[in-house]
Amino acid sequence: MSEMRPQLVATAAALFAGAPDWPALAASGLPLLLVPEASGGFGGDWGDAAAVLREAGRAALAAPLGETMVASKLVAGARASVQQGQGTLAVATGWLTATQSVQRFNGSARGVAWGAAADWLVAGHHGRALLISTYAATAGANPAGEPRDSLVLDAAPTLVLGRADVLELGAFVRVAQIAGGLEAALALAVDHVNSRVQFGKPLARQQAIQQQLAVLAGEVAAAGMASAAAARALDASRDARFEIAAAKLRANLAVARGVGIAHQVHGAIGFTMDYPLQRLTRRLIGWRSEFGGDAFWAARLGQRALALGGAGLWAEMARQGDR
Amino acid sequence: MTAAMASVFALPPADAVPGAAAVRARVRDFLAAHPPPADPARRVNCWAVADEAFSRALGQAGLIGMVWPCAYGGHARPAMERYIVLEELLAAGAPVAAHWIADRQTGPLLLRYGSEAQRRRWLPGMAAGEIYACIGLSEPGAGSDLAAVRSRAERVPGGWRINGQKLWTSGAHRSHVMLALLRSEAGSERQAGLSQFLIPMDTPGITVRPVIDLSGAHDFNEVFFDDCLVADDALVGGEGEGWRQVTAELALERSGPERYLSSHALLATLIDARLADPAVTALIGSLVAELWTLRQLSWATAAKLAGGDDPVVEAAMVKDLGNDFEQRLPQAVQAVVSADLDGGDDLGRCLAQLLLVSPSFSLRGGTREVMRGMIARGLGLR
Ligand SMILES: Cc1cc2nc3c(=O)[nH]c(=O)nc-3n(C[C@H](O)[C@H](O)[C@H](O)COP(=O)(O)OP(=O)(O)OC[C@H]3O[C@@H](n4cnc5c(N)ncnc54)[C@H](O)[C@@H]3O)c2cc1C
Repeated sequence: MSEMRPQLVATAAALFAGAPDWPALAASGLPLLLVPEASGGFGGDWGDAAAVLREAGRAALAAPLGETMVASKLVAGARASVQQGQGTLAVATGWLTATQSVQRFNGSARGVAWGAAADWLVAGHHGRALLISTYAATAGANPAGEPRDSLVLDAAPTLVLGRADVLELGAFVRVAQIAGGLEAALALAVDHVNSRVQFGKPLARQQAIQQQLAVLAGEVAAAGMASAAAARALDASRDARFEIAAAKLRANLAVARGVGIAHQVHGAIGFTMDYPLQRLTRRLIGWRSEFGGDAFWAARLGQRALALGGAGLWAEMARQGDR
Repeated sequence: MTAAMASVFALPPADAVPGAAAVRARVRDFLAAHPPPADPARRVNCWAVADEAFSRALGQAGLIGMVWPCAYGGHARPAMERYIVLEELLAAGAPVAAHWIADRQTGPLLLRYGSEAQRRRWLPGMAAGEIYACIGLSEPGAGSDLAAVRSRAERVPGGWRINGQKLWTSGAHRSHVMLALLRSEAGSERQAGLSQFLIPMDTPGITVRPVIDLSGAHDFNEVFFDDCLVADDALVGGEGEGWRQVTAELALERSGPERYLSSHALLATLIDARLADPAVTALIGSLVAELWTLRQLSWATAAKLAGGDDPVVEAAMVKDLGNDFEQRLPQAVQAVVSADLDGGDDLGRCLAQLLLVSPSFSLRGGTREVMRGMIARGLGLR
């Protein structure tokens, strides 16, 4: 797919720039990017998904596009029929019961992106992915005002899709969005300091400003590389747990270090509702906590490193890069 | 949004190198036969630790000058194979300082700008791990402002007469040659009138004096040139082309694995200490995340360099992010463990060593501020 990637990315960027609603996104086919062509999808790979979601992050797209992409892939991977409408991803707690021929799930999920609006969802539960369509939702929101709803699943009919770490795949989506969002924040900052004049010259001429934006650019580079390399790992192997954990944690650190710089060089204008920076930074702040915050991934990755041992850690990193 | 933004770090992750596992196995076999120092404190900051016997053995094993043509003692291997060798050596804490500069920059510079005679004279010994080089850039009055170089070379019949002083020259005391940036045109200013010279260190008139660093180690030196006479062919590349050539040389220096992997022994020692403290586990996790990302960034840059491009801004980013990581590493470890810095255990010794030497990371090879200035230029801010 990647020979089509530049065109795909350009198309997505043009679409996202117009703040499309869900029907427009659905019409573009992007929610089925990761579904094989034989199942009516685009047949894209993880690298394509990361590239498109990075554009979504750059445009501060307010829609569960990545969630639906991943959920649709999991559905298609289980040879279940591809779901229509808006999907989402959830990490659920509760229990499965099998009554006669049908399985049912009882439990709950929190912070589900566009949970109330979704027509169906794929929930992660003890390392498996479950397809569920009926639940009750209570509205919630992340710091950007994007819906993050609480769901109650009451004997919900469930199709077990198979083994998958939904949290991990959700993190993959957020890493790509963070990469794009930070990149757009840097672009705004650069534009701003080039045009804003103080002390008789553009802010960009101040070395203190230049040095801060160089740091932000480094964080943009790190988040972008984390996303692209995690995608490469997913495309190369079924087991990309290490890489996704590292990528989400590094992207989270980039948010931590980057958002403040973007605001600082903007001055007060960046602190207003009217100026577009908040559309990016409020999302970045929220995305950092979603699908595993720093503490979660640091503990998981730290335990993995401890299990590998000092020499084993290096051997494992080298092995991954070589495949 | 500006178009410039698209190119902040436009490099894709590098593809896997064919045959990588075999190259790693070769290096690991070599390291099994020539083990790095047992004391982890001698393995942290390992690219500043010199062991000439190790370098000679490495050269005999064909692991120096790997990408150079066979005609000059090299092995004509792909550049990314060399990268694998470097990272394996650094991750193991091998003492690579003696030959590092010749392998990384002096040899490649000679291949790029040197004459046939210069290549034949110097490269085979460098590839054998027997000829070492040092970098003669900094002077008392020329640090970040390298164009302020004043040491000079005057044309005399049959050669050049060199006078002046270099400072902070790492490894000058064990090097056979110095690649020096000198003012070859009397009265020239700034970037003009500079040339590069390859000066044998046994030339009469050279005095090397140690400068002991704050950890008590003898790594860098001051080097005096007092009416040193060198032959015509000491000039490398074009007369007056020194600034352009040195800029290219420095790009080779910036983005390699030594910028994030040179203190790996501390992280490995921390892991192996098995401290069973959730704060330590979390710290290990976040350090690993940064290390993994840096490796991706450095690989991508190396792949670009291997393709013959000159990713200046990306290389500056790798150095800046890598230096920052390697400086935070010992600080962060010190913050979460109660280590005994007076040498009681491995972790304490590694930590004490790195806490002392890590401030130099963002000085050597171009300072943090200079790197960030280059990145800012890439952003179109200057
Ligand atoms: C361990 C070590 C090994 C070294 N090995 C070598 C070697 O082998 N060969 C060699 O030639 N050199 C070597 N150096 C020297 C190194 O390249 C210089 O230290 C470096 O270029 C900075 O120069 P300086 O020390 O004179 O500091 P200065 O240039 O005086 O700078 C001091 C501080 O001011 C900042 N500064 C300077 N100018 C500006 C500016 N315009 N804007 C903002 N900030 C600025 C710098 O970033 C730095 O933080 C080594 C240094 C170290 C520490």
